Amino acid sequence: MSTMILPGDEFHLESRENVLLGPGAYCDPRNQKVQPVTAGFEVVTETKKNVSVHVEHNSKRYIPAVGDLVVGLITGSFSDSYRVSLSNFSTPVTLSYMAFPNASKKNRPSLKVGDLVYARVCKADKELEAEVECVDSSTGKDAGFGLLEGGTIAEVSLAFCRELTFNGDYPLLSLLAKNAQFEVAIGINGKVWFKCDDIRHTMACYRSITECEHRTQSEHKSIISKHFKTLLNSVP
Amino acid sequence: MAKEIEISTSEAKFLIEALRQGLRSDSRKFEETRDVGIKFGKDYGDVTVTMGKTKVHCRISCNIAQPYEDRPFEGLFFISTETSPMAGPQFENGNNTGEDEVLCSRIIEKAVRRSGALDVEGLCIVAGSKCWAVRADVHFLNCDGGFIDVSCIAVMCGLLHFRKPDVTISGEQVTIHPVEEREPVPLGVLHVPICVTFSFFNPEDAEENIKGESNNEICLLDATLKEELLRDGTLTVTLNKNREVVQVSKAGGLPMDALTLMDCCHKAFKITETLTDQINEELKLDAESRNKYAALLSSENARVS
Amino acid sequence: MLFAQTGVLELVDGSCKLQCGETTVMCSVTGPIEPKARQELPAQLALEIVVRPCRGVPSTREKLLEDQVRGVVTPVLARYLYPRQLAQLCFQILESGEPEELYSSKELSACINAAFLALVDAGIGIQASFASVCLSILEDGQRLLVNPSQAELIESRSTHVLALQLAAGAKKVENLLLLESYGDFDEQTLLQVLQTGEEACVKTALELRKVIEQKLQKDFVWR
Repeated sequence: MSTMILPGDEFHLESRENVLLGPGAYCDPRNQKVQPVTAGFEVVTETKKNVSVHVEHNSKRYIPAVGDLVVGLITGSFSDSYRVSLSNFSTPVTLSYMAFPNASKKNRPSLKVGDLVYARVCKADKELEAEVECVDSSTGKDAGFGLLEGGTIAEVSLAFCRELTFNGDYPLLSLLAKNAQFEVAIGINGKVWFKCDDIRHTMACYRSITECEHRTQSEHKSIISKHFKTLLNSVP
Repeated sequence: MAKEIEISTSEAKFLIEALRQGLRSDSRKFEETRDVGIKFGKDYGDVTVTMGKTKVHCRISCNIAQPYEDRPFEGLFFISTETSPMAGPQFENGNNTGEDEVLCSRIIEKAVRRSGALDVEGLCIVAGSKCWAVRADVHFLNCDGGFIDVSCIAVMCGLLHFRKPDVTISGEQVTIHPVEEREPVPLGVLHVPICVTFSFFNPEDAEENIKGESNNEICLLDATLKEELLRDGTLTVTLNKNREVVQVSKAGGLPMDALTLMDCCHKAFKITETLTDQINEELKLDAESRNKYAALLSSENARVS
Repeated sequence: MLFAQTGVLELVDGSCKLQCGETTVMCSVTGPIEPKARQELPAQLALEIVVRPCRGVPSTREKLLEDQVRGVVTPVLARYLYPRQLAQLCFQILESGEPEELYSSKELSACINAAFLALVDAGIGIQASFASVCLSILEDGQRLLVNPSQAELIESRSTHVLALQLAAGAKKVENLLLLESYGDFDEQTLLQVLQTGEEACVKTALELRKVIEQKLQKDFVWR
């Protein structure tokens, strides 16, 4: 996990066959060499069938990949689809009217410009515009996607977001849960949406999440209790 | 301006609702400004000013030019405030025609140049033929609101810090002494204008032309980028330590009454006082660090009378 | 000799402030983002490079710098990973460290190194590491100086800026990306410049690696 790797270095791979390339790994079409293109920690996972390799790195700009759960912002609507922004200034993605549960020609979704949606990336060819969906396309049923009403968003770095999503043992959310009741939707595109019953709790969560991103794990507990104390003890 | 930063309705509602309850997302009070950091570079007239996450670099330079024909006794002074995508992708390179950019450069121009903060007559070398042309290049590095306030501080710090080469004139003969040869001379700064920007929010969403009881307007000092994106009105007051109002700029937005304006000016004056003191303090510290041996080399001996 | 810090700016995707001797530059990278129609390239990443001078308005000198940086960055970028996208590289010279009317060598070398750090910080794919040094040969034609000071630069007979593409932990030189020379020199001197420059570039690249190591620590502080 902790070997640092930079562009131009070589991956520590034993064989060159059956290599699966993850983020940060690139196969040069000219010489078929597998090489890292970003700086980070080298991760090589071997299974019986193949070896997968990727570079664990942190960045701010999200690039769509199939299967990612994202929080998007509706920025426009067309005759058959919405335009959704996954991060400011990036190429927008499309959300078809048919990519909703129980969708039909007559049954139009009622999202407005400025709304937030929780969705899954279903197409992400780098040459084409990416697409997201609000339905589990394998079953055609509702899978918890759709409009995120109220609440607010904390923007964090992508690696931090991945940690929050995939590492169930990561203590930040459970620490927050001790102090407040909240709904949360983590978009892998660096947007954490959450909603508490009242503004003060939401604000405390917001301040805690944004501050904890830049602090070591041991400090998280005290940061959270600091924010909750100052917000809840002051008279509205 | 190129594309705008997009903000969701949920976030906007949250921010306004929080303001109604007296909360700002960075734990500040409504009338609390962010800490200002002033850092001088190695050269004279090189200063970086930060306020929260907003960061502006200013560089003062000078060269010899010909004065304008109708103003033969005055030197030249330019301020350039060009934005680049460094401050954020919402800024386009070389395109400063956006409303915010134009407003920002005009206000700084008015606050510093038109208010006579720099003694341009002191820049004259030979009347009608030679004068100093002083240039202030403002570089926006990081944008988190309050560009006007920070830029104004940066330009003033730069001008106060800058030294121009010494010149001697004998008849028509002008000699410029290089910095190594003769101690350069400071510019004549007549007063230090400070800009203070207020942002107004109308949480009730009921617009009224006459200020009534029903609109509980919120007045914030030193807004961050998100607050700037959502505000309904803005007011920039420029003052100096002598209690002189240099300019008041309110370009559209929510209507306000005279009493609020007076109140804002009083609040701004307090900030002006502390900031002017801070600038002078930083300048003193910088001068001391440049001149460690001054005390030793001083010709004023401690005489015993 | 070289001080650098990444992630100094908030609103861009990658940034760094790099100080090399008397020269200081700030570099920001944003991308991949949506390009304007006239910038878009059908199969690869388009680059928008902006160099802004310390004082005065940008002139042909800055345009030349932009072009030189473009020449270095373009071959190393994994551009085909991001078709129809745009990356903005923005450089702000904070301290020039050389007489601006006559030279741009130190700025160029600092900009190239800063570009590497900022691109890495932004996470935009690059196929190899690269580093750059500025060299000058003093009037007697004998002494070769790496990253000269302002006084040495003015006294020099010729100045050279060298940028190399490095591989295998920044130990192997893969390609020559840029060699700009000004002044009076002969073939022998140039070969010597290349040799000394190569060692210096490798040394610089190792320092840049240290900066990236610090960046990674900062990035994953919450672990």
